[in-house]
Amino acid sequence: MNASDKNFENLKRLLKLKQHEVPPPGYFNHFSDSVIARLQAGEARPETLSERLHIQAPWLVSLLRLFEARPALLGACATGMGVLLIGGFILIGEPDGQVSQPLLTSSDTAAAVPVAQTLAALSAPTLAAPADNTGIIASSNSVASLQPTMAMFGQQNALFQNTSFISGR
Amino acid sequence: MRRARHGDLQAYDELVKRYQERIYATIYHMTSNHEDANDLAQESFIKAYQALKSFKGGSSFYTWLYRIAVNKTINFLKTRKNKYHMSLNDLDFNAENDPDLVALVSDKTPLRDAGLSELQKKLNEALLKLSEPHRTVVVLHDVQGVSHEEIAEVLGCNVGTVRSRLFYARQELQGHLSEYIKPT
Repeated sequence: MNASDKNFENLKRLLKLKQHEVPPPGYFNHFSDSVIARLQAGEARPETLSERLHIQAPWLVSLLRLFEARPALLGACATGMGVLLIGGFILIGEPDGQVSQPLLTSSDTAAAVPVAQTLAALSAPTLAAPADNTGIIASSNSVASLQPTMAMFGQQNALFQNTSFISGR
Repeated sequence: MRRARHGDLQAYDELVKRYQERIYATIYHMTSNHEDANDLAQESFIKAYQALKSFKGGSSFYTWLYRIAVNKTINFLKTRKNKYHMSLNDLDFNAENDPDLVALVSDKTPLRDAGLSELQKKLNEALLKLSEPHRTVVVLHDVQGVSHEEIAEVLGCNVGTVRSRLFYARQELQGHLSEYIKPT
């Protein structure tokens, strides 16, 4: 007998009184008959989900009871699961850990339009310009294109040539 | 058992007879009401019969039956919260000669003024003040003599939880019955 049991020795003696409480005489003589009669009368209905849980998964019922008794615990668990869920979605939505950026934004497009127009004006042959004496129509402007003068790493771009025309007089 | 699983009601009748007293007593001690205990005990046996096919034998039939009865009673008590109506059974003739009760009722305790019937009423009132989980462990262990391990299996919790509940339940019960229990 441990110390805890010793402390409650008198209580346990008192509780023995419960063992002397008996149902009315002859009660158990007909108890099983009543049960069988009810079964034969067709009271055997299919188990509900709740009843099945009580019998087959009492741990789940205990957990639900715990949540019922401590709503704060339920809130904490729900919050934790929500955070995990959102975290999971964020991780899935981000490919290879890189942040994707758009190639051309609308502001970039708007800025590029006037530049392109200027370049087009420069590159167009000046057909409307008055001809000089030689009758040669030429432009002294170098050929302009969108091609950058220098390619990457400081190498000369092979596709680009500076051109000038000298009138042969 | 095997015959009962195949729908043999006569075989099931034998099982009912074997366990009816213990199941009834457990429910009665939890409800302190004979009529409720009668209804719940019958319903427990009916439900057990319905669920007999799902009984896989992981625990003993008795433990499994206890689980059904205890869960049914706890659910019943929850729906009737604070609406207890005691309908106590009579004490048998042996109560007055029980050595433990005789030892408890001595000249040094106010119990000498209280008859056993009054003590029975106070004891049941005190039990009804406990929460359902606490009352269940006290009834199963201290009244019915079920082991901690079996109670853990019945309630679907671990043995430590059973011991802890039992300690706090006894402590609370002792507080409610302090004037009837002489200190050790």
